[in-house]
Amino acid sequence: MVRTEPLPPYLRQQNLEIEEIARSAGLDFFQVIFELLDARDVNALAAYTGFPVRYPSWRFGMEFERLDKGYSWGLSKIYELVINNDPTYAYLVRSNSPMEQKLVMAHVYGHADFFKNNIWFQPTERQMVSAMAANGTRVRRYIDTYGQEEVEKFLDMALALDDLIDPYMPLKEFRKSKGPRRKPVTPLERARISLDATIGVSQVEEASTEDEGGEIVATDLLGFLAKEADLAEWQRDILQIVRSEAYYFAPQRMTKIINEGWASFWHSRIMTRSLLGASDVVDFADCHSGATANQPGQLNPYKLGIELFRYAEEKGMDLFRLRAIHNDVSFIDAVVDEEFARRSNLFLYHRNSRTGRMEIADRDWRPIKAQLLTSLTGGGIPQIELVDANHDGRGELLLKHQFDGRELQLDQAGETLKQVSMIWKRPCHLLTQAEGCPLRLTTDGVTVSRVETEEEGEQEGEAADDRIAG
Amino acid sequence: MHRIERDRTRFREIVRGRLRKDLRKYLSSTELLGRRGDKAVSIPIPQIELPRFRFGDNSKQGVGQGPGEEGEAVEGDAQEGEGAGSAGDQAGNHILEVDVDLKELAEMLGEELQLPNIEPRGDRQLSTEGGKYTGIRQTGPKSLRHFRRTYDRALRRVIASGEWDPRNPQVIPIHDDERIRNRKSVSKPESSAVIFHIMDVSGSMGREQKDVVRIKAFWIDTWLRSQYDNLEVVYIVHDAVARIVDQETFFHLRESGGTKISSAYELFLDQILEKYRAEEWNIYPFHYSDGDNWSARDTERCVGLLRDEILPRVNQFCYGQVKSAYGSGQFKKDLDGALGSMECLITAAVDDREGVPDAIRAFLGGGA
Repeated sequence: MVRTEPLPPYLRQQNLEIEEIARSAGLDFFQVIFELLDARDVNALAAYTGFPVRYPSWRFGMEFERLDKGYSWGLSKIYELVINNDPTYAYLVRSNSPMEQKLVMAHVYGHADFFKNNIWFQPTERQMVSAMAANGTRVRRYIDTYGQEEVEKFLDMALALDDLIDPYMPLKEFRKSKGPRRKPVTPLERARISLDATIGVSQVEEASTEDEGGEIVATDLLGFLAKEADLAEWQRDILQIVRSEAYYFAPQRMTKIINEGWASFWHSRIMTRSLLGASDVVDFADCHSGATANQPGQLNPYKLGIELFRYAEEKGMDLFRLRAIHNDVSFIDAVVDEEFARRSNLFLYHRNSRTGRMEIADRDWRPIKAQLLTSLTGGGIPQIELVDANHDGRGELLLKHQFDGRELQLDQAGETLKQVSMIWKRPCHLLTQAEGCPLRLTTDGVTVSRVETEEEGEQEGEAADDRIAG
Repeated sequence: MHRIERDRTRFREIVRGRLRKDLRKYLSSTELLGRRGDKAVSIPIPQIELPRFRFGDNSKQGVGQGPGEEGEAVEGDAQEGEGAGSAGDQAGNHILEVDVDLKELAEMLGEELQLPNIEPRGDRQLSTEGGKYTGIRQTGPKSLRHFRRTYDRALRRVIASGEWDPRNPQVIPIHDDERIRNRKSVSKPESSAVIFHIMDVSGSMGREQKDVVRIKAFWIDTWLRSQYDNLEVVYIVHDAVARIVDQETFFHLRESGGTKISSAYELFLDQILEKYRAEEWNIYPFHYSDGDNWSARDTERCVGLLRDEILPRVNQFCYGQVKSAYGSGQFKKDLDGALGSMECLITAAVDDREGVPDAIRAFLGGGA
């Protein structure tokens, strides 16, 4: 386990002060528990995406290796980690300066408020620390029973697919279930419900299939596989685990800009209005501008987010309402206008096909906004839907990539499709587009073939059919 | 912490598995050269990633922030900044540096090429420089004074002389009481070896030929290092004259001129007669050339040197002939013809990089 320790007295004192300021400013959060860690331990914790108790996987080891090297070479440093949980856990790094600790704590209260109040986080499991621990225990048990290689192989297959969920579904379900859902009466019932939530069965899965008359929620491929694929029980459970954790993390991906913006807005406000001693000013400016600096040509979610909130405040919008109802897409849609784009120096760039370099293409706010919205839709990952679970009457899966102008990395897509096929145990197909042509990838789990199609995969194109050995 | 250590160990196992699988690739590439520290080699491997549905880099546009006119290039490299959405949790296609222990790498090499372990010849011993402060003597630097023994002596003296006063138990050591720690050098048997890399840098050895030599030298060093605690490497280059150079020069020097191989053999012989005496060292000369010696007379001289002076003194003499567009390759034929029956002479022809593993096996496969 990672060694943590409670805050030393001076930080505890500071924390009380900051919490009080945050509350009186109108922030509303679950209890926030701060713990102090060494930089190395914080890297370990970050490798586990904040949960010290996750299932074993080499991927966490790899991430740790990367973070740890980055840290020891002085390339990167983690200031803080916040976990969406009730109570909210936050980790401070021992090597931060006193000013940095203040800033980080203020920042954390922004996140904590966001987690509690933003609508997209309402359906998330708030006891995730124990849920993750329970998942870890089960996976470890499977490893003991079925062997490390076996379980790891399946877990890796499942993890390759953890994007294939419907990030909008939990909220829909949550709203539906909010009214009629009766309160659990007995402790036993309560326990069962929280256990279900842990496994990820109750709300998400059952609902997903039933409410549209037995029809499948097309983008929740992971849920579909967990329910319908021909699997051993432990494999099914691993799919459920991966899926429930993916649903837990999905809102964070959808709210990167608004969440970081909100937290930065508040750390900046709390620091500059209330907490900053004269001796801290330069440090603060340095640290704050470091976090909100622009990598040339790139968007920094901290910077864009804080600018959006400041602009919204200037325009007299209700900030607390904004943070409650929006994700990145709808937030940008609501706030970005011509003036904002100009003031924030936004531009549209494209690749000059002649020189191959990226060039500023446009300063007009409309295409900029359109591009921002497109790139953020679906959390910036390709949208893949299940179209047919019994393709050609042979029980094969037909998937479709919702093409929005951005092409898939085809060899990666082929490999990923293979994972689907290995879990489904039958051939699988994916419709997409490449270089302007409709394209179909087909795999039997061993090899992948690409076929250009004329119409949405109806006809077999006679053209290219390059088989790639697996 | 032990939990992350377990995952990290598992990750490293996987990396090693890959490395083992791809070892052949590394055996004929220059990728690892210059990445060797004293104990480990840092090997760049593509980050192992799970496949995912993700966008290719053909997403032709994105949004950025900053100054600049339309048509100006975006500062920095915007290729990774494909829209704000990409700031998700997916790492890009990073190259990961993984440190692999030299011993381990050598072990992989040994497995891959089925190299036998080397049995150091004779009972050559070197007394090591190190030692322990286990002895005691009466003079020496004060900083090494052995307090307990010194006090002990002083106490005895005081008591013996009847000056001991229990009410005022004062003991003051005088010069004669002092006991000083003494270092005893330990001579432990240690096999040591010296490698001589001798390279022909005459005009006909091109860049590719030198790369082949570099790769070969790298792996040979790696292997021998795993076999000997104490390994020294000497680099000799020659065209018409020979000289000793450092590693950097050895690998980058480009000379032109004639080739007089005997010059190198003479220099080498000097070294093993004076500095690296055969009684104390296991000696491994490796000579690389394209085999185009200046004259038949010089080749004769080389054969004579090898037969009479060099071969009796070395563990094994390896001659690797790298194919070049200009070289006749005559030298190998001459050696094989004159000395082919000598067991400790090994010659191998290397056509290109792909031939490196076979050449290494030819050189090291005998276990001499």
